[in-house]
Amino acid sequence: MLLMSALVSGLGLGSMYGLMALGFYVTYAVSGTVNFAQGSSMMLGAVLTFAFTRTLGWPAPVGIFCALAICALYGLVVEFIAVRPFASRGSDSWLMATVALGIVLDNLVMFTFGKEPRNLPSPLAQAPLEIAGVNLGIYPLQALIPVVGIALAGGLYLLSVRTRWGKAMLAVAQNSAAARLMGIPIRPTVSFAFALSTLLAGIAGVLIAPLVNVNSDMGTLFGLKAFAVAILGGIGNPWGVMLAGLFFGVSEGIVTVTLGSGYTQIITFSLVILALALRPNGIFGRAEVKKL
Amino acid sequence: MRPIARKSSFEGLARAAALLLVLGICSALTLHLNGYYVFVLANIALLALVGIGMNALIGLTGQISFGHVGFYAVGAYTVAILGKAGLSFWLAWPIGALIATALGALLALPALRVKGPYLAMITIAFGFIVEHAIVESRGLTGGQNGIMGIVSPTLGALARGERAVALIAFGAAALAYIAYSLLARGAWGTAMRALRDSEAAAESIGLNPLVIKTMAFALSAFCAGAAGGLFAPLSGFVTPHTFGFSQSILFVLVVMIGGAGAPSGPIVGAIIVGVMPELLSSLEDFRLLFFGALLLLVLWVAPGGMIGLGSAFLRALRGKLGLTSAQATIPTTTAQAHLPRRARAGLEASALSIQFGGVHAVSDLSFAAAPGAVTSLIGPNGAGKTTALNMLSGFYRPSSGTFFIGKKELGGAPAMRIARAGLARTYQTSQLFGSLSVVENVMLAAARGRLGMILGSHKIRSAETLALGLLAYCGYAGDPASPSADLAHVDRRIVEIARALALDPDILLLDEPAAGLSTQDKEKLALLLRRLADAGLTVILVEHDMTLVMGISDAIVVLDAGKRIAMGAPAEIQLDPAVRKAYLGESEAAGTISVRRKPSPPSQEILGISGVFAGYGAAPVLQGIDIQVRRNEVVALLGANGAGKSTLMRLLSGLHRPALAGGITLDGADITNLPAEKIVRLGMVLSPEGRQVFPELSVLDNIRLGAFTHPEGMDARVDDMLTRFPRLRERLHQRAGLLSGGEQQMLAVARALMSKPRILLLDEPSLGLAPKIVADLFAALERLREDEITVLLVDQMAGLALKIADRAYVIEGGCIIASGTADEIAGDPALARAYLGG
Amino acid sequence: MALAFTRRHIGALLASTVFAGAFVTPALAADPIKIGLVTALSGQSALAGEAISRGMTIAIDEINAKGGLLGGRKLELVRRDDEGNPAKGVTAARELIFREQVAVLFGGLDTPVSMAIVPLVNAEKTPFMGPWAAGTGITKNDGKPNFAFRVSAVDEIVNVGMLDYAQATFKATKPGMILVNNPWGESNEIGLKAALAAKGMSAVGIEKFEGNDVDVVPQLTRLRSSGADVLFMVGNVGPSAQVVKSLDRMGWKVPIVSHWGPAGGRFTELAGPNGKDVHFVQTYSFFGNQSETGKRVIASLMAKYPSIKGVDDITPAVGVANAYDGVHLSALAIAAAGSTDGDAVRQGFYKIDKYEGLIKTYEKPFAPGVHDALQAKDYVWAQFIADRILPVAK
Repeated sequence: MLLMSALVSGLGLGSMYGLMALGFYVTYAVSGTVNFAQGSSMMLGAVLTFAFTRTLGWPAPVGIFCALAICALYGLVVEFIAVRPFASRGSDSWLMATVALGIVLDNLVMFTFGKEPRNLPSPLAQAPLEIAGVNLGIYPLQALIPVVGIALAGGLYLLSVRTRWGKAMLAVAQNSAAARLMGIPIRPTVSFAFALSTLLAGIAGVLIAPLVNVNSDMGTLFGLKAFAVAILGGIGNPWGVMLAGLFFGVSEGIVTVTLGSGYTQIITFSLVILALALRPNGIFGRAEVKKL
Repeated sequence: MRPIARKSSFEGLARAAALLLVLGICSALTLHLNGYYVFVLANIALLALVGIGMNALIGLTGQISFGHVGFYAVGAYTVAILGKAGLSFWLAWPIGALIATALGALLALPALRVKGPYLAMITIAFGFIVEHAIVESRGLTGGQNGIMGIVSPTLGALARGERAVALIAFGAAALAYIAYSLLARGAWGTAMRALRDSEAAAESIGLNPLVIKTMAFALSAFCAGAAGGLFAPLSGFVTPHTFGFSQSILFVLVVMIGGAGAPSGPIVGAIIVGVMPELLSSLEDFRLLFFGALLLLVLWVAPGGMIGLGSAFLRALRGKLGLTSAQATIPTTTAQAHLPRRARAGLEASALSIQFGGVHAVSDLSFAAAPGAVTSLIGPNGAGKTTALNMLSGFYRPSSGTFFIGKKELGGAPAMRIARAGLARTYQTSQLFGSLSVVENVMLAAARGRLGMILGSHKIRSAETLALGLLAYCGYAGDPASPSADLAHVDRRIVEIARALALDPDILLLDEPAAGLSTQDKEKLALLLRRLADAGLTVILVEHDMTLVMGISDAIVVLDAGKRIAMGAPAEIQLDPAVRKAYLGESEAAGTISVRRKPSPPSQEILGISGVFAGYGAAPVLQGIDIQVRRNEVVALLGANGAGKSTLMRLLSGLHRPALAGGITLDGADITNLPAEKIVRLGMVLSPEGRQVFPELSVLDNIRLGAFTHPEGMDARVDDMLTRFPRLRERLHQRAGLLSGGEQQMLAVARALMSKPRILLLDEPSLGLAPKIVADLFAALERLREDEITVLLVDQMAGLALKIADRAYVIEGGCIIASGTADEIAGDPALARAYLGG
Repeated sequence: MALAFTRRHIGALLASTVFAGAFVTPALAADPIKIGLVTALSGQSALAGEAISRGMTIAIDEINAKGGLLGGRKLELVRRDDEGNPAKGVTAARELIFREQVAVLFGGLDTPVSMAIVPLVNAEKTPFMGPWAAGTGITKNDGKPNFAFRVSAVDEIVNVGMLDYAQATFKATKPGMILVNNPWGESNEIGLKAALAAKGMSAVGIEKFEGNDVDVVPQLTRLRSSGADVLFMVGNVGPSAQVVKSLDRMGWKVPIVSHWGPAGGRFTELAGPNGKDVHFVQTYSFFGNQSETGKRVIASLMAKYPSIKGVDDITPAVGVANAYDGVHLSALAIAAAGSTDGDAVRQGFYKIDKYEGLIKTYEKPFAPGVHDALQAKDYVWAQFIADRILPVAK
C-alpha cells in the first residue's frame, strides 16, 4: 500500500517534471541555451488560466487556450530579450538574464495577480478515482497527466525525426552556419523553440494548477527539479527526458514513504550526482562524436 | 633580450599601491561608519572573496558552479559549531575553510567528466544536498532554526564585533586578490586556461586535467569556505535558509557582472551585487522587481562584465587619442638547436586495432619508427591515419594491440602519461591555447606537466628563453606576446610544432602539418622536419602532400581501409603496385578528368561582384573585388592562403555581413545585404570550407536537409546524389560525424546540390583530401556542367582547378591581380607570384 | 603598461562611484517618528507581510489623525523586504536602525528572521515588536535588558493548547504530526513533543512535507498505517490545504487540530469542502460580534484598501489584528517614555496601564519578564464555516 501510493503519486509528479524538462530539451537542442526560469513559465500558464476562467469567467477551453497562447508569446519574449542579445555575442550571460527575467515575471504576477494563493477547481480533481469501488487515492487528473506527458514526448520525438522542420531544428543545433546555408532560417527556428518550450511549461502549469495552489512563486522549485530531470535524461533526447522525469518522481515518492520527506531532496539530488558521475551525458544521453 | 611575459615592475608597484589605498580607505570607513555601513562593506568583502575564488573556476578553467553556497555554508557552520564548542575563531576559521576545500576536491570528481549544463546541475544538486543535510542534522546544526549567538573575534583594542570581522574580511579579500593575480600569471593558472581552451591539447603536453580541475574547484571552495567562516560571526547566526540556491546565483553573478578572468572583476561585481539591493531597499516590495530589471539592464549594457565595458571604453579612448601600446620586439636569437643532444627512443606499434560501431577503423597495424628518421604514414582519405595517430597519442584507446616508446609499453595509457613518456604531437586543426600568448603556449609545454608551487610561476617563466629560442628555431617571426587566437594559419602550425618540441620529446607526431600552407612555407616546413630528425628525434608524419612526404621521409607506411598495405623507403613505395593501385598518382588521377572545355559563347551574367570591401577587424580583408560569373561557366578563384578567398565566399553566401562597400548581384537582383538563408532560396549555395556536416545526423538526413528549400521531388534527387557519390550509399545510415574527411566533403557537396542551385560556390573542396579522392570529386564537379550548374571554385590546387575551369581570377592581398581564361591564367606569371610571393 | 594597469583598475573606480551613491543619503528631518517593519514582502509569505502592513497602517493613521505623538510628531511606516531570509532580514534591520533610526522595529512572519534580529535590537537598544512570528525564543531571549516584545501567539503555549483541545474535543490518544518542513514546523515539533511528554504521551508518527509539495499522500499513508487518531497540523494556508486535499483523496476522515496557518488565506477555496473540518487556533476573528474597535478597524480597512470588499477579504486576520494592537501599544510606550530613546521606550512598555484594543482590553500587558501581551486564555479555537472563520461552537 505504501509503495503503491509512492508509485502512483511519483508517476504523476514525475510526468509533470518530464513535461517541463521537455521544454528545456527543445530549446537546448536548437540553440544550446535554456530558459533557466522555466518555473516562471509554468506559473504563468497556471495563473493566466485562473485569471481567465475564474476572475474573468471565460469558458474553460477559451481560457486555457488564451493562457497557453500567451505562454508561447512569453517564450518569444524570453528569447528576444534575455537570450538572443547574449547568445548572439557568444556570451553565457543568457543564463543570468533568464533568471533575471524570471524574477521580473514572478514579481509582476505578484503585483497583478495578488500575493494570495488561489485554487483553480477542475472537474478532474473533485473526487478521487475509483476502479471497481476501490479508491486509488488519486484524482483522475493525476492519472491523465502521465498520459499527456508521454503523448507530448512522443509527439516531439516524431516532430524531430520525421518532419522537415524537426530535422531543421536539429541541424541548427549542430551547426548553425551550415544550417543557414541549407536555407534554414535560424532566428525563427530558435524563437519557435522557445515558444514551444514555454508552451510546454504552460501546459504543465495548467495541468498541475488544480492540484496545487496557484500563486506567483509556485514554479520555482518545480523548475529546478525539472532542470535536474532534463539533465538526468540527457538533454538531447525527448524519451530520455520523459523517462528521467518518471524515474525522478517515483524516486521522490519512494524516498518519502520509506525515509520521510526530509531526506527526499538529499537522496534524489545525490542520485543525480551519482548518475552524472557514472554517465556524464545523462542516463539516456549519447556522447557526442569526438574528433580531432 | 627583453623579458616579454613578465609585467613591468612599475605596474606591480602601482597595483600594490592601489590595493593598499583601497584597503586603507575601507578600514578607515569601517572604524568610523555606523554599524549598517560596516555590515554592507563587510558583506561586499565576503562576496568579493567568494567571487575571486570562483573566478579561478569560471575565469580560468571556464567551468561554472551554482553550488558554491554549499561551501559557504560549510565554512559558516564549522565556525558556528566549533565556536559553540568553545574553540577559538582563529582555529575554527581555517578548519572550516579546509573542510570546504576537501569537499570541493571531492565534488570535482563527478564534476570532472561533465560540461556545461551537466556541470551546472551537479553543482546545483550539491548545494541542495548541503542545505538539506544541515536541516536534517539537527543535533549538530540546530536544524531549521540554525545556530544563534555566534561570537565574533576581536582584533585587540582596534575593533570588536562586526568591525573586527569587516577588517578581517578586507584582509582576506585582499590576500585572495593577490593570490589570484599570482595564480593567473603562474604555471597553474596558465595550465587552467590551457585546459579551458583545449583539453585534448592540454593532456598531450602532459597536463593532468583531473588534478588541475580539482585544484580549481578546491581553491574556489577554499575561498567560499573562508568567506562563509567570516559570515557566521558577522551576522551572529547561521540558518539553512540563508544558504539557498539564490545565493549561489548571486555568487556567479559577482563574477559575471564584474568580468570573468579579470583579477579585479569579482571585486567590481561584489560591489555592484552588494550595493544594488541596498540602494533599492526603500522600494519595499517592488525591490525584487527592480533588481531583476536592473540586472537585465546591466547584462545588456555590459555583457562581458564591467571590466570588459571599461576596457572597451579605454580602447576607444586610446584610439581617439592615437595611442597604441608598444609591440614587443621580435627576439633576435639565432636559429640554433634548442633540443639537447641525447639518445632518443623510437616508437614501435604492434598489432594496433580499433573499431567504431562495428567499423574497423584501424586493424592490426604494426610498424616501427626509428629515432633520427622521418617515418610517414600515408594513405587515401579514410584509411585510418589520424585514427592511428590518436591511438598513439592516447586520445583513443585501442581495442587491441599495443605500442612501445623505447622499452616502455604504453598501449591504452592516457594521453597525459604518454606525453610525459616522451611523445608530443600536433593537430590537423590547430589546437593552440587561444587565450594564451604564443610564448606562453610554448613555455607551458616546457613544464611537461610539472607545475610546481600553486601560486608560483617559476616552472613556466624559467622556460622563457627556451621557448623564444624554439619559436625562432621553428621560424616564427611574429610577436611572441600576441594572443595565439589571433595568429595566421601558417603561424599556428609553426607555434604548434614549437609547443610540441618544448616537451623535449623523443617522438614527434605531426598530423597534416602542411595542409593549407603555401609552397614556400611547405619547403620551410620540410627543412624544419628534416632538421628535427637529424637532431635525433623520431618524427612521425601524416601528410597528403606527396612532394613533401617523398622528399623528407626515411620510411613510409601505407594504410588503406585501416590496414597496412605497404612499408618501406620512398623509392620502394613509389614502385609498389599495391600502393599505386589503391592510392598513388596525382598524374593518374588528374588524367582521368575529361576536360571538355569549349570556347565559351558570351552568355548572360549570373553573378556580379563590384567594388566589394569586407573584413573582420580594422583593415578590410577584401579591398575592392570585381568579379563576373556568367551562366553555365566554371570560374576558379586562385590565391595563396590569407588572400581573402574564403572571406569572399562567406560574403557571397551571406554568412559574412556586412559588406563595407560595393555590391553583389545575382541575376541582376541586389543580394549584398541578404542573409544566407534567403540567398539559398535564390539559387546560390555554398559548400563551405572544412565540410561542416551535421555530425549527429545520419548521412541520409544530411542530404535531405540540403533539400530544405526545395522539398519537392526530394527522393529522386537523393538517389541521384547517391549515384554521383557511391561511397555515401554505403554509409547512408551512419552518423555523418564518423565519416572520413573525404566522405564528409562529398556529403557537403551532395548536400549543397540538393538545394537545386543554379550557382554552386565551392570553398576548398580538395583541402586535406587524398589525390584519388580529389580526382573523383573533380570528375563529379565536371559533370555538373551537364546539369547547367554554374560553379565558382576556390581551391589551393591551382593546377587542378584550372583544369576544369573556363576562366579564373587571381586574388592577392584582397585585390584581383589577374583574370582571364584558364589557359591564360595558367601561363600568367601573376599566378606563380600570388602563390610563391616575390 | 601603464594603460594595462588602468584597464585592470577601471572597474574598481567605476565601482567606487556606484558605492559612493550608497552613502549619499539626504539629511533626515527629525520630525516624524519612524516605525520600521522587516517582513517578507515578496515570495511565499508576501501575503502575511501585506496583512501586517495593513494593520500597522490603520493604527498609524488613527494615531496621526489624533495629532501624532510627543507633541505632534507624526508616525511614519518604513518597510523593508526580508524575502523570508534571516541574512536579508538582519541587513534590513541594521539599515532601519542605523540609517532610518526607527523608534520601534516590527518583525514579520518568519521566526528565524526575528530570532536573528533579536540579538541586534538588544545590542543596539531598539525596541522590537513581534506581530506574528510565534517562536518562543523571540521574547524569551538572553538579552539583558530584553528589547523584544510581542502581540501574537507563542508556539509553546499554542502547542499545549492544541493537545488539550485534541484530548477534550476528539478524545484523542494516538496523535500524529504533519508538519511543514520549515523552521516554524520544527519549532512546533519541539513544542508538541514537550507538551505530549508532559502528559506522558508521544506521537505515533511525525511527518514533514515541503511547502510546495503537490502530494502529501505518502506521508499521510504512513501516519494512517501507524494508527493516528488525530493529526496535529502545522503549515501555512497553502501547504495546509494540500494536506486536507490529500486526506480527501485517500478517503481518510481524521480530526485535524491545527496551528493558525489555515486562517492565512482562502482556505476553503484551496482545501475544498473538507477544509471546514480543520480546527485551528486564532488570536482574533473579524467575523461574528465585533467590539466598537473591531467595527472601526473593519470600516477603516474597507475605506483604505479597495481590494477589501468585506470581512472575508481581511486575510490573514491575525496579522492585521496583531499588528494593529502592536502599533497602538508601541505608541503608548513611546508616549509613556516621552522620547524615542530606545531604552526609555522599552521601559515605556512596562508603564502601559490599560489599552482597549482590538483583540482584547490589555491591562498592564508587559512587565519585566512578561514580554508577550497575549496569553493562553486569549486564544480562540475556530473553524471555517463556508468562507468565514468562526469560533468553534462549544
